[in-house]
Amino acid sequence: MRNNDDFKFAAIPPIINSLFDDIEHRILSPLSCLREFDNHWMLEFDLPLVSKKDIKITFDEDTINIEAKLNEKYSEKQIGDVAKFEYFKKSLSLPGKIDNKKTTAEFQKGRLVIKIPKKVSGHHVKIT
Amino acid sequence: MKIAKYNTNENTLLVGFPSNGLVGTFSVSYLIHHLKMKQIGEIEIPDLPLTLFVEEGEILSPIRVYNKNNLFVIISDVPFNQYLAEEFALAVNEFCKKNAIKKIVIASGMETVDQKKDSPKIYGLVTHSILDGLLYNNQISKFLNGSIFGTDAAIISVFRKTNIPALVLYAECHPFFPDPEASIVVIITLAKILDVKIDTRDIENKIDKLRIQYRNLMKETIQTLQQQQEKKTRAPQIYR
Repeated sequence: MRNNDDFKFAAIPPIINSLFDDIEHRILSPLSCLREFDNHWMLEFDLPLVSKKDIKITFDEDTINIEAKLNEKYSEKQIGDVAKFEYFKKSLSLPGKIDNKKTTAEFQKGRLVIKIPKKVSGHHVKIT
Repeated sequence: MKIAKYNTNENTLLVGFPSNGLVGTFSVSYLIHHLKMKQIGEIEIPDLPLTLFVEEGEILSPIRVYNKNNLFVIISDVPFNQYLAEEFALAVNEFCKKNAIKKIVIASGMETVDQKKDSPKIYGLVTHSILDGLLYNNQISKFLNGSIFGTDAAIISVFRKTNIPALVLYAECHPFFPDPEASIVVIITLAKILDVKIDTRDIENKIDKLRIQYRNLMKETIQTLQQQQEKKTRAPQIYR
């Protein structure tokens, strides 16, 4: 029987960590993306090895904070040493004019999708 | 024994490089591993920023060539902007001429409209109609309408002017996150095309860990692809 750990990719992931993981506090920085639609923003986080119940989303004025505990410890070789991680954590600045009270979130296949409606403001222009 | 048979008489080249969802990286890499292919060389691109990888003390070039029987593989660990992509495609074309390659298969990903889909769909785009039969025989939907730009467009543009036909396999994927699940669909399709048996359990068991492990390469790839999209009107927005 093949041991799972024996399986190694021919592709080599970069050694330099550009995502600023916090090795000391065992925190990984998740990938995220923000896309703009006509009346809302869609913010996505890639959170593999996480259960829905272990995700915490908080708003702090114009910032959104995501924290999630991993189902199992994740280890990674980093220049001769092994780093262990237990959490995902990230804070992002949000675009202006959003309605964060109407924000909704969905979690499927380890991807957190947050829909943030845009605030409707301004005044109508009458067409004559 | 995971390799059933490989009875293709023609020399075939499989190409993978980082793009949407890292589909090409995952699928081609997995095939190299499972077919126990041997590294036979490296490809140098003059304008590529000098990069070397060190693994278990061994110095490796970012663009490597593997071989087993009639199958050749070229894999890149670095993403290309459209200018480097063209140079890469020209270098691949030179390799094809020297090694009597009869067809090229490129594994890639395309943004899916519906992220909630259970199984990603796969599409095929051929540069020469002689490969249409390959799509039909392997039940691959033909890429009928859409636009291709940047890296993929640069590579396809080079191959469509040559005599060597190329098939680009596009699996629906998440464009900004590593998507090993979409790569499995490509691996299964490649196995059919190449007439080899591939057990996908190893990658299935590691999907979540691969998504974490390859975050940096995904980020690097998005940055490279977005450099060439800056002038486009629909440039996706990404937070770091």
